[in-house]
Amino acid sequence: MAETSEKTPDNPANINIINDKLLVKQFNRGDDSAFDRIVEENSAEIAAFANQLLGWPGDVDDIIQDIFFAAFLGLKKFRCDCSIKTWLFTITINKCRTYRHKQMLRLKLLLKTAGQIPLASNRAADKTMTDKETFNRVRRAVKALPPKYREPVVLKYLQELPADKIVKILGISKNALQVRLNRARQRLKKDLAELIED
Amino acid sequence: MTEEKIKNLLQKADKAAPAQTPVCSSLTAAVRRRAGRRRFVNIAAPVATAAALLIIFGAWRLAARTTQTKQHQNKIASLQAEIKELHARTDAALKLIQEVLENQRQQRRLDELQTQLAAIPDPLEEIRKQVDKTAFILVYQADRMYRELNQKDSAIRAYNRVMELFPQTQSAKVAEQRLSQIQNNPPNIKELKI
Repeated sequence: MAETSEKTPDNPANINIINDKLLVKQFNRGDDSAFDRIVEENSAEIAAFANQLLGWPGDVDDIIQDIFFAAFLGLKKFRCDCSIKTWLFTITINKCRTYRHKQMLRLKLLLKTAGQIPLASNRAADKTMTDKETFNRVRRAVKALPPKYREPVVLKYLQELPADKIVKILGISKNALQVRLNRARQRLKKDLAELIED
Repeated sequence: MTEEKIKNLLQKADKAAPAQTPVCSSLTAAVRRRAGRRRFVNIAAPVATAAALLIIFGAWRLAARTTQTKQHQNKIASLQAEIKELHARTDAALKLIQEVLENQRQQRRLDELQTQLAAIPDPLEEIRKQVDKTAFILVYQADRMYRELNQKDSAIRAYNRVMELFPQTQSAKVAEQRLSQIQNNPPNIKELKI
């Protein structure tokens, strides 16, 4: 599938694909520098994306290592149907889902042993809150979204990827993407009504 | 419009988020180490499993063989006992057969001897026959002397001699009849019969 739009418009999509194919070939020949280059080129972006998906925890070293370890194992089988970056985004989404799922399980277990019921966060608007608190609330709202809404929101508004790339990463149709984005917006609008109205 | 607001708000919130820790510089090295460990586990795990299975199988075989050996030994012992018993039975049967054959042989020998014994003539009977024969010949000669040669005295002496020497025989009785016939009335010798 031809890459029609990359985040970096300086590099044409076909050049990127050729470059990726060369890197994969190099890696398959046993040239370790190919993987180094892939990590160097994508690690920052992937780390930021993972950070956003996981609700801005700050420290994403473990998950980044998991992502690139999966890439290292799967790179030999990579068929270059899409760019390496798109492929890495897909891996990131899957790993973040697994990570969050594990975290949820751990949290549930912790709460069960503590015998406490989590209190719902107070999302009432506070006119006097500072900017920091405002953005914290925004991030919490994004974090509170279910993965199927949070992922399109992050890809669309934070990573600013085009729709055709998002549908490829998420493996869904364009219509489904639009539906998810609409629902996500509605939820955010509901949660952050005062902020948006302002 | 709302979409734009949401987008702006999200981007501002993202920028205002706590600084993300920079990606570890040794990320590739860490990934390679992890891949190496995985490769090692991928190789070592099946080898270890195979070795463990081999050891278990070997131990099982050894145990089975020991049990089998014991079973074989017991079986051999029982078979040997059976063979011994069969030997004893065979010996007894052979002994019995030999005894029966010996008896049959002795019986045959006895039958043969009895047949042979039966075939041997009685000597007393022979002597008796010879005595009868001698007495008859003497009577016959006396008859001839009296009838053909007309020697009456010699004939009487011969008859008397027969009666004296062979008194128990049929010829002695005949001689006695001849003598009484000669003394009473001379008989027609030709009518006399022995």
